[in-house]
Amino acid sequence: MTNFLKQNRPLIIGSLAAVAAMAWALSQYEPKVAASILLSGLTLGALYFLVTSGLSLIFGLMDVLNFAHGLLFMVGAYMGYTLYANPRILLNTLPLLLALAGGAILARRAAPMLPKIPGGQAARWGLWALAVALLLLGSWGFDLAPLASTGISAGGDVPTAEAQEALGLFVGRLLALAASGIAGGLALALGQPFAGRSRGPRGLVLGAGLLALALLIAPARTLGEGAILGLSSNLRFLIALVVGAGSGAALGGLIEWSLIRPLYSRPIYQVLVTLGLVLVGTELVKGVWGPTGYYMDTPDFFSQRGEACPSPNLVAWLGDHCASIDVLGRPFPSYRIFIIALGLIMFAAIAVLLRRSRLGMIIRAGVQDAEMVQALGINVRRVFTMVFALGAGLAALGGVAAAPFIGVNPGIGQEFQLQAFIAVVIGGMGSYGGAAAGALLVGLARAFGDQIVLSGIQLPFMAEAVKFSPSIARASTVLIMALVLLIRPTGLFGKKD
Amino acid sequence: MLLSVESIQTFIGQFHILEGISLEVPSGSITALLGRNGAGKTTTLRSIIGLNPPRTGRVLFDGQEIQGRPAYEIAALGIGYVPEHRAIFRDLSVEENLRIAERRKGDLAGKIDFIYELFPDLKRLAKHPGGKLSGGQQQMLAIARALVPDNRLLLVDEPSEGLAPIVVEQIVASLRRLSDQITVLLVEQNFHMAAQLADRYYIVDDGHTAHSGKMADLAGDQALITRYLGAA
Repeated sequence: MTNFLKQNRPLIIGSLAAVAAMAWALSQYEPKVAASILLSGLTLGALYFLVTSGLSLIFGLMDVLNFAHGLLFMVGAYMGYTLYANPRILLNTLPLLLALAGGAILARRAAPMLPKIPGGQAARWGLWALAVALLLLGSWGFDLAPLASTGISAGGDVPTAEAQEALGLFVGRLLALAASGIAGGLALALGQPFAGRSRGPRGLVLGAGLLALALLIAPARTLGEGAILGLSSNLRFLIALVVGAGSGAALGGLIEWSLIRPLYSRPIYQVLVTLGLVLVGTELVKGVWGPTGYYMDTPDFFSQRGEACPSPNLVAWLGDHCASIDVLGRPFPSYRIFIIALGLIMFAAIAVLLRRSRLGMIIRAGVQDAEMVQALGINVRRVFTMVFALGAGLAALGGVAAAPFIGVNPGIGQEFQLQAFIAVVIGGMGSYGGAAAGALLVGLARAFGDQIVLSGIQLPFMAEAVKFSPSIARASTVLIMALVLLIRPTGLFGKKD
Repeated sequence: MLLSVESIQTFIGQFHILEGISLEVPSGSITALLGRNGAGKTTTLRSIIGLNPPRTGRVLFDGQEIQGRPAYEIAALGIGYVPEHRAIFRDLSVEENLRIAERRKGDLAGKIDFIYELFPDLKRLAKHPGGKLSGGQQQMLAIARALVPDNRLLLVDEPSEGLAPIVVEQIVASLRRLSDQITVLLVEQNFHMAAQLADRYYIVDDGHTAHSGKMADLAGDQALITRYLGAA
């Protein structure tokens, strides 16, 4: 016990100081104001946590600083919003992507069973060229703008019948992209003669399944759009959470597999590649959805209004689903309570995954010594891809959850990226508990900062409160980071070595 | 021959570490790999398991070429690796350190009694984090971890390093007990320990296999020992 006190003196002093500072700050405000600041801080903290946890897991396991994590947050927000408000663009692009991926997986897994393709290197380049040519052919003249247009953004809604292409043309595109995927998959298989051995038929089934799914969706696009928009907003929101998180995870896995994996021995290049991805990704998002943002409606579950509102407490809210809940005499949006709950649930779920599952055990071991895990007969590269996808999925889930709260625009990724990095550094690189603590601290600091900007600080013997510019809320987190690093260079929970 | 290494050359970065190592490990024996610090013994083991793949030469395990394949595939063929400095997972409990080595569900359940009988300390410490064990206990855990799946060959790197003589005796006793079930390629600086255990030896010098023979003959050849291993 005394040993523990000695070793963690800075940590203990630091947390006592933080608690004291918070108690002092809270005593400056009425209880209802203080409570709503705390809750706002928790809301932000929960969102930061969803970004930070993945960032920290990825850094801990593979030493990759993923600057594109904010991009995945943004992609989640856009995908979730799109499914929720305008699924037409999803239904018209998803089958194309499925066909491409299905073709590639099918070809890569089937390649070892086919007779050997003669020509070696030349054949490989030929196949790549064919894949690119088919890709260009398949996407020639494909116009996303009308599909992405909604009544708010593009100066008037384009009806679905006009926006989407005729079935024949669309299926033609599908087939071209599937063929492109097959050519690309064969080229990949030629480049890696050992990959794809002894995997069994799972890859084949997956590839064929994706292709079949693409062909099934194609004729049902309009029907599907109606069906999704006809669902209740709550159900749609739930699906949006799943689709947003899932597409973030898929994109994350793809990024790791294609761009990060070749660069594990070159960390500087990883930073450059992920930074480059942010620029490319942000412009692509602007290209598809336009440079301005969208506002996403809060689902009905969190937006009832009426006589009884705001709900007097959480239990009553479960019955009336008011847009806000009364907290010590001040209304607080109920959707933000949902964000807090989501953060807590994901924190617990990941903690259980890390502590109780075999994957979690491998991750904890790999954080320390990935090479030894490999030497035990475990395919660490595959675990890397899975963890990258998991972290990306968490960030994207945060993006969907944030959409009704702060809206969807091409800038949110970078804002969250920066704050999440600060939170990770505060909490200690590679520590899961640290990531949560850092996110919480940054969230609370932002909330306090916002309040201080609003009301200023009343110092004794001064007639007027000292006013601050809005930048102080952002600066406060950097100040905390500097302070933490001065006392504890590895962050609050960072490992000593 | 369970393992044959045929003139492998291995580079780490731009350094040419192994300049032609050849050795054979017959089934059911303990073969010692001796040599001075920096001679290339550890790199030889890492080349076999695939952590530092050799650039040229062949490695045959049970007649099958394994060089160039990823380490996890090589290990899964039935090779257990007990590395230098043990590489125990500090944040995992002793039991988890064993469970992570399972290749099939139930591997550990079938072996746990044997492992705990071999190393009674580990049973007592099952719930302790690996980082809290003493050096000797960590060494036992590292060996035990390699016993969990059905391995046919153990690559054991410097098991006596930094351990008190009495603990070394325990490790020697456990390896000797294992030797009738499993083949061992042992890297060892402690000549006394190697002499007690091994049937055959190879001496590695400056990235080459310089000498080999029966351990019993080497123990009597003071000139050879002094030449390649320094004072014994």
